[in-house]
Amino acid sequence: MSRSRSFSRSPRQSIQARFGFFDASQQPPMPIHSSSNPTGNLLEVTFPPAELQRSMSSNHASLRGMRRLEARRQMEETNYLSSKARSQNLNPPVDLRLLDYVTPYDDNLMCPVCRCAFIDPVVLVECDHCFCRDCIRQTWATTASAYTPLGPRGDCPSCRTPAKLGARSATSKILVNITDDLVVRCPNSEQGCEATVKRGEVQDHVGIYCGYSKQECYAEDCEQPVRRRDADLGCLHYNVTCFDCRETMQKAELEAHWKAKCPDRKVACPQCQEPILSRVLDKHSREMCPAVTVSCPGAVLGCTSRSKRSQAEVHAQTCTLAILAPVLAAQKQRLDEQEVVQRTMSRKLEVLESGFAAVEEILYPKHSVQAKEDDVRADERRIPLLLEDGDSARRRHTRLESTDVEDMDEQFSGFEFPSPTSSRPMSSRLIASLPPSRPAPPPPGPRPQDLPEPFSTDFDMPFPSAFPPPAAHGPYVSPLHHLLSMHEALRDELSRVSTAVQELDGRQSMHTLNENLRMREEMGYLGAQVTGLSRQVGWLTSTQLQRQQHQHGAGVGSSAGGGGMDGIAGAGAGVEAAVSAVGAAASALRGAAQVRAQARRGHSEEGRTKL
Amino acid sequence: MAGMSGKRLQKELAKITGVLPPGITLVSAENLREWQMDLTVPDNPIYPADHVYRLKFMFSTNYPIEAPECTFIQLSTPVRKIPIHPHIYSNGIICLDLLDKQGWSPVHNVESVCISIQSMLASNTKNERPPGDAEFVRSNRSRPRDINFLYHDPSV
Repeated sequence: MSRSRSFSRSPRQSIQARFGFFDASQQPPMPIHSSSNPTGNLLEVTFPPAELQRSMSSNHASLRGMRRLEARRQMEETNYLSSKARSQNLNPPVDLRLLDYVTPYDDNLMCPVCRCAFIDPVVLVECDHCFCRDCIRQTWATTASAYTPLGPRGDCPSCRTPAKLGARSATSKILVNITDDLVVRCPNSEQGCEATVKRGEVQDHVGIYCGYSKQECYAEDCEQPVRRRDADLGCLHYNVTCFDCRETMQKAELEAHWKAKCPDRKVACPQCQEPILSRVLDKHSREMCPAVTVSCPGAVLGCTSRSKRSQAEVHAQTCTLAILAPVLAAQKQRLDEQEVVQRTMSRKLEVLESGFAAVEEILYPKHSVQAKEDDVRADERRIPLLLEDGDSARRRHTRLESTDVEDMDEQFSGFEFPSPTSSRPMSSRLIASLPPSRPAPPPPGPRPQDLPEPFSTDFDMPFPSAFPPPAAHGPYVSPLHHLLSMHEALRDELSRVSTAVQELDGRQSMHTLNENLRMREEMGYLGAQVTGLSRQVGWLTSTQLQRQQHQHGAGVGSSAGGGGMDGIAGAGAGVEAAVSAVGAAASALRGAAQVRAQARRGHSEEGRTKL
Repeated sequence: MAGMSGKRLQKELAKITGVLPPGITLVSAENLREWQMDLTVPDNPIYPADHVYRLKFMFSTNYPIEAPECTFIQLSTPVRKIPIHPHIYSNGIICLDLLDKQGWSPVHNVESVCISIQSMLASNTKNERPPGDAEFVRSNRSRPRDINFLYHDPSV
């Protein structure tokens, strides 16, 4: 703080400090509370801190430049304003290409580029094709990018001949006169000018005569534009409010607002000539205008009558189709609603049906009915639980809590007594799949006619009679309950079957174990026999050897000893061969025993799989 | 300038809604900036008579001086496909010098461009896409007016 104040005592010192000339020893820093310097406060106000001052001094030159620029801009602005004040004509030059032609003109007078009657036509030197001067200049300005010192040149747009504008390229005066004599509408026709003038005079018309072109307000201190026809009414540049839409605007704009913009202005309906607010004109002509031709309300039913809206009501009172139309429309709507509801219902039904079909497929696979039947019969032979007759099963079925219903049994008993009135295709098919030679057992218990229909696989059939009557005969309030009970019964059945299978399995394994034991005993016996045999053979050979040695030791010489040894060796070999043959026989026996055991095991396996 | 293009397009539209050459129909010209035309090709088995192709014109404010952007477009309803031609890419971009800076002339108009494309299709004998079509269609992100085509085939 104190340093900065001491540095900023004078600009020169600050500059010195900036360039490193300043030494702290030359000028000791002043104390903060020093009031000896009378200009201390002043200095702090007039001179900004050193940093800011440095940047200002560096920008000094550019500041001067900006000031100069500012001055120039102001001068230009005043020049522009004064020139604007001087120019009486506030209207832009008329673009002749945008004019509407009143008289039709020959196509040969049309420039091929802008499709207007020629405006300042020129003729290309090489090919004699004719264009507006502006058109050909614009065309060549885009294509010829290079600098062309020899004047504008390029290809002719019509024939692509390399061409240029000659020194006297303008066409003969007669063409200019013809095109300038074409009658056009005043460009202010949208504002209301109804003048049609020759094209050559349209610029003068707009600039001098047209009451709808702008000029400057005559009033003092008002430079705003006003329409020429309103110029004598005094300055109209004060705010007024539209009577209809309450919008505030200048008086000069009020008329145009009334004519074209105000949403509350009245316009004549083009059909009925009634004065209508312009903002509701659309709605009026769409819905209310009595002059608009509408078709009979019964057109959807085929009435072809079309009449004005005012007479349409009279027609509608007599036309039967028109009277019927709303009724039928309401009917149709209701039908549509019903259809939607029905569609959802049918989808639900579909889902349910497919679920039933899947469950049914799990419960009764159709392709293995025959095999299952065999299995069941085999079960019946072995498992006393299944030996109950169908009558008791049926009785159990009619009981309220039938948790262990034997569905298979029921099913097959149901097949054995098909009801004569039954026309259900699936049960008849299943009956057909039964072997015809199978004798029907005597019907136990009551006839199936007075019993509830046995459950079969066709509970998804369309007949409601396929279901058991829910309240009178069974617990099955709904198919779901039926399914659940069936499922429960099936689970019991399954557990029962699994215990039976386990029992069978134990029995089978016991059997094979017994068989194996017997086989092992037999084999041990055979092995003992074989060892006894081999021992006998060994004893026989040893006695033979002893006898031969005796003979040799008694009477034969050493020369004959070798031959005797040979004989002994040959006899030994023969005995060995015999022993090995016996061994081979034993192994063959063992192999045969194994094969037999295997065959037995295979047989038992087969029996199990058959279960 | 904008006024000139608008005025000229209005005049063209007025003429086109009157009489058009056979096989060319105006579909829509709502805002004078984008027009759609339908095109059929007579007497060429590559383009059967019941096949209709949709041309889209985009006009800049510089229109008669600058060429319009003209491409085939594909629609599902009604069925409009990109015609198969050795100078028409499968994204609809047409390689035709008439539509480029050098080839364009302000004397042309929508009708004449349609006739040119129609005759280009009618005289076609090769039922194939341009070489490198797949690569071009995959990689091209620029507008047709910014592509520098090399016009090598004077026979079309």
